[in-house]
Order: sequence, then structure tokens, then C-alpha cells
Amino acid sequence: MISKKVYLFLTILALMVWTCGPSGPDSESDLEAASWEEIKQQATGSQVNFMMWQGSPAINDYINNYVVPTVKERYNIDLEITGGQGPEIVQLVMGEKEAGVSSSQVDIVWINGETFFQLRKINGLWGPFADKLPNTEYIDFTDPYINTDFQQPVDYMECPWSIGQFALVYDSARVADPPGNLEELEAYVQANPGTFTISNDFSGMTLLKSFLAELSGSSDGLNGPYDEEKYQRLSAQLWDYINRNKKYFWKEGTTFPREHTKMDQMFASGELHLSFGFGEGGIEDKVLEGLFPETTRGYAWDTGTILNANYLGIPYNSGNKAGAMQVINFLISPEAQYTKANPEGMASNTILSQELLPADWRAKFSGIPGRKYGPDLEDLSAFAMQEPAPEYMIKLYEDFRTEVIEQ
Amino acid sequence: MNSKLANIGGLAFFVLIGVLPFGSAFIYALLYSFGLAGALNDGFTTEFWQSTLASGELVKSFAYSGAIAAVSLLISVGTALWLTLKFRKEFEQKLLSFIIYLPLAIPGVVAGFFTFQLFAKAGFFSRLAYTFGWLTEARQFPDLVNDQYAIGIILTFITIVTPFFVLLFLNVYKNERVEELTQLSYSLGATPRQIVWRVSLPVILRRTWTLIALYFIFLLGAYEVPLILGQESPQMLSVLIIREIKQYDLSKISEGYVVAVIYTLVVSAAAVLLFSRKKRLTHEV
Repeated sequence: MISKKVYLFLTILALMVWTCGPSGPDSESDLEAASWEEIKQQATGSQVNFMMWQGSPAINDYINNYVVPTVKERYNIDLEITGGQGPEIVQLVMGEKEAGVSSSQVDIVWINGETFFQLRKINGLWGPFADKLPNTEYIDFTDPYINTDFQQPVDYMECPWSIGQFALVYDSARVADPPGNLEELEAYVQANPGTFTISNDFSGMTLLKSFLAELSGSSDGLNGPYDEEKYQRLSAQLWDYINRNKKYFWKEGTTFPREHTKMDQMFASGELHLSFGFGEGGIEDKVLEGLFPETTRGYAWDTGTILNANYLGIPYNSGNKAGAMQVINFLISPEAQYTKANPEGMASNTILSQELLPADWRAKFSGIPGRKYGPDLEDLSAFAMQEPAPEYMIKLYEDFRTEVIEQ
Repeated sequence: MNSKLANIGGLAFFVLIGVLPFGSAFIYALLYSFGLAGALNDGFTTEFWQSTLASGELVKSFAYSGAIAAVSLLISVGTALWLTLKFRKEFEQKLLSFIIYLPLAIPGVVAGFFTFQLFAKAGFFSRLAYTFGWLTEARQFPDLVNDQYAIGIILTFITIVTPFFVLLFLNVYKNERVEELTQLSYSLGATPRQIVWRVSLPVILRRTWTLIALYFIFLLGAYEVPLILGQESPQMLSVLIIREIKQYDLSKISEGYVVAVIYTLVVSAAAVLLFSRKKRLTHEV
């Protein structure tokens, strides 16, 4: 009697699991052969789920109050926004892949080189698709800062959305002469103990790449494929330098902030006097929000800071690839890029090439006033360096923990 | 027959809700740790177990988590016992009983942020000290969060746990008729010290030690509070597991599952030991 019931229970359970399983595949091959008109038609009236970092009020305002209503009005697309960045996106796509989910929870992901590298490793992206978008005609895919992400060819597997340079950030009211190289940084931390640290995240590791480049002797010292011997030689000097000076860091170097956002908070509260960030330091919107003091300024490291683009990708199992392409095409349109560049809003650098834009748009873009607080991209362009091969990042993450944090 | 059916239904419900998800997750973690599951794993390997056990981080994390849980619990239980025995009558007042219930409604993540806002170097107390001229710079404020000695974590745990134990001990005090036992001991000539150490405490602790031990396990696996208030190294167990699982090097994610499997085995063994001992003790009584 009991065994019959157990069998019945197991049968019901198996049925439940089976019915909850993946649904059938969508018409992927049809989409690859489809014309843009057909893609547009397929996208109309659909829902698109966009997973993006929602940590900035300026970005949220741009997306929620401009992009969402505009795509609804023009293409009848319901754009749903979900919060999530790098690791969450990778975990989600990897989890869905492992579970065999054929229709993802998300259709568009906002990614940088780190996430692109990880998603490519697990074949988590669908494409190539960017070359199908009409508005990519305004993007210069011959630019190495656009066609190469983390020393990997983009191959239209992701679509560039904006470009920015990593910059150091300081409060000019507190720091008169900010350090531009390792020697000056050593003198600075000794004179101002507790006001500088390195976050144990993507931003912190990016700063360490500038330090490694300086130790190599030039801004292109890390270019090319990963070189283990070079890394070991340079990183040994770097760990020695940091361990020698960390007693002058925040909390005397006994710990390091887990995330860069915490550094922003500490910079805002005056605990730190020196910080760093992507997008020319991310200064403008934070000053306008009232988070950073108006005396905040940004600059590049003497031997350069990383210049890179950020991108939009479509997960391999997106259930609405046509809708995703339509939304991405809108996001890289001159109109959307122009609104995004508003210095009072996102103050983002456009990914569109001025040479490739029609004259009227070119005039509009050149009329955008410069930033009031943070540096403009052109100010730092002489100090731009390429993102080194991903293995440098993997090793830096690992060794910063074992050679510095755990020491 | 009906009761038999109800028993089977109950068992099925328990298996479906309690055992199946937990068991499946454990098996998945086990397979992942041996490279048998996961998008980037390609077959059985003991490599992840070897590297995790060799790194020493797991042992450090276990010791660190255990020490924090033990210190927090010791202070919380001690304070709760003292409050119960000293202010038992006062807790019967409406306002005090309300105040003691209040911290139970605060989630760990909120308590963590609250501690951070109060005790960070640029937090409330630091600003207060600055206003009074006791500090000239934020960094002069003592290190109370993200600190070496986990003061922020312990402080938050104590805030969360103490009210729970006060309520528990007050209940036990009433149900076990400790008041009557105290009166009896007093009339038999016991001193107040003897009453506390030989009557009240043994009665209360005998009835609650299982819960105290379970709370230790709960604190051992705490996540949000050490995530907000802890250091980067060493880290409490759950923080370490999540860090390993979300790490940049996807080929090493399995190491996080190794830690999760070991942690689950240790905690499950402790729980089994705890309950079998409790059962034995109940039978003996």
C-alpha cells in the first residue's frame, strides 16, 4: 500500500519536474537570416527584459524616464529593467545553462570586458548580432578600443554602448598635488595616512594594472598576449611596494574595501581623500547629486589609465532576441546617445564616431558643453592605455588576496 | 486508516518541502565540488578538494566564525540571564516588554547597516565626537566596523540575539516555576548566591541549552551582518562560500562548493549529535 503511494508520489513529482522543464527552441536561425524590417516586426508588441547596474540615479533616470517610455511609444516594446551586474549576470546565465533553461529571464545585459570574457568562456552570449543593427553604421569598428574587449575580438557578439577612461579622483580642497606615479603615491600616503586604499574589486584591480604598466616602464608594457614571466616579475615588485606602504593605507592596510561603491561613500564623507573610478572617474554625476564635493577633480596616472568601452549583449537563450536587437539599436541611435551625453544627466561619452555621423548630429554633439567638475575624455586621451589580457586580471585578483590582504 | 493516510501525507509533505530541496542542493554541490556538474567542469577530479584543504582558508574561516559565534552567544546569553534574574518583574510592564520585542522585528541586514551608520569612522558617533571637539579627523575614531576583532559583527549579533534569549528565559522561568523553587530554597536556608548558581541557572539552562546550541549554528552561518561589517580576510563561512562561488576565475567556482559541502556536513553532524543527545536525555528524565 505504502509503496504504491510512494510510486504515485514519485510519478507526480516526475511529472511536475518534466512540465517545469525548458520549453521548445525559438526560431534562432530564422532571425539570423531575417531582414531588419522582419526583425522590427517581430519585436513590435513584445516584452524585453534588460539586466543592468542600477547604482546611479542619473543612469536610472535616463533609462526609466527616457528609454522605457520612448521604446514603448515608438516600437510598442515593454522594457522591463532588472538590477544586476557582472557576477550576477554570469551566475544567472551560467545557472540557466547548467539547468538547460531555453528561454532566459533576461534579453539584454549591460557588460564590460570582465563579464564579456566570462560569458564568452561559457558560450553565454548570442550572436554575432551587432552588425545587423542599422545604427552601428555610426560606430567605428576599426577602433581598437571598440573592436577589442579585454584583448579579445568583439566579433559583433556585443554592441558597444559607451566609452570611458579610468581616472583617479581627488578632492582639490584637501589634496593640492595628487600623486601621478608610484613614487609620488608613496610620499603621499606617508604624509596623509589612512586616506587612500584599493578596493578588492574590478575597479581596484584596474588601478593595479596601471601600477603594473608603470613598473613595466611604459603604458603599453602589458599589451599583447599574457606573459607569465612578465607578470611574475612585475607583480612581485607591486606586492612588495603595497606591503611596504599599506600601513599608511585606510585602516592601516589591515583590510581593504570589498567594493568600489564603499570607496565612493568614504570619499564623500571625507574619510578618503584619493579615489578612482571608470568613466573618467565618475565624478560629474556624483558632484551634481551632491554626493561628492564641488572641489572634486579627476586625472590620469602618468603612465596611463585604461580606456575601454562598455557593451550590450544578448544571452544565448534570450526568449526575445528580436526585441533585444530593436532596443539595442535604439540605445545606440544618435538621439539616445545625445540624450545620454547630457552633462546634467548621465554625462556619458558617446560611442558614435563623429566622422561617421550625419552633419546635423555632428553639430549637435559638438555643441554639448564640457564637464564642470570631472575631466573630459579628450583631456585624458594622451594617457589612454589598452585593457591587458584577461589572465592579468585573474592573477591580480588571486594574488592581491594572497599576497596582500591575507598577509 | 485515516490516520495512516494522514501520516503518509505528512511524510510526503515533509519530504517534498524539507528533504527534497535540501537533498538536491547538497547532491548538486557535491557533484560540483568533484567537477561532475558545472558549465566549465569536464569530469571527475579531486583537484578542488585538494586546493581548498591545502589553502588553510577554510580552517581559518571555521575558527573565525566559531570564535565570533561563541563570543556573541556567551555575552548575549550572559546578559539575557542577568536581565531575566535581575529585572524579571520590570519586564512585565507594557513598555519594557514592547521594547524587548522590537529588536526581534529587525532583519539582520538592517541591523548591520544600522551598526555601520552608527559606528563607522564617518558614522553618527564619530560625527558627534567631532562636533564636541574630541576628534579633529574621522580616522581618529576607533575601528569598530570592518575591524580586525569583528567588534561590529559581535555588537550586532548581541543586539539581535539578547532580546530573544531574554524572552526565552522569562518564559522558562515562569513555566519551570523557578520563582517557587527560589522561595523553597530560601526557606530551606540557601543564600541568594546559592539560589542563583545552584537553582535558577541550572534549571533555565537545562531547558534551553539545545536552543543555545542551535543559535550557535545559526550565527556560524550568518551572512548579511559579516558581509557588511566584516573584513576581507579572514571571512565568516557564508561570506567565504559566496565569494568563492562568485569569483572572477570561473574555473575555480567548484572550490566554493567544496566549502559549502564541508560546512553542511559539519553542521548536519552537529545537529544530529545535538538532537540524539537531547532525545537520550529526555528518555533518561
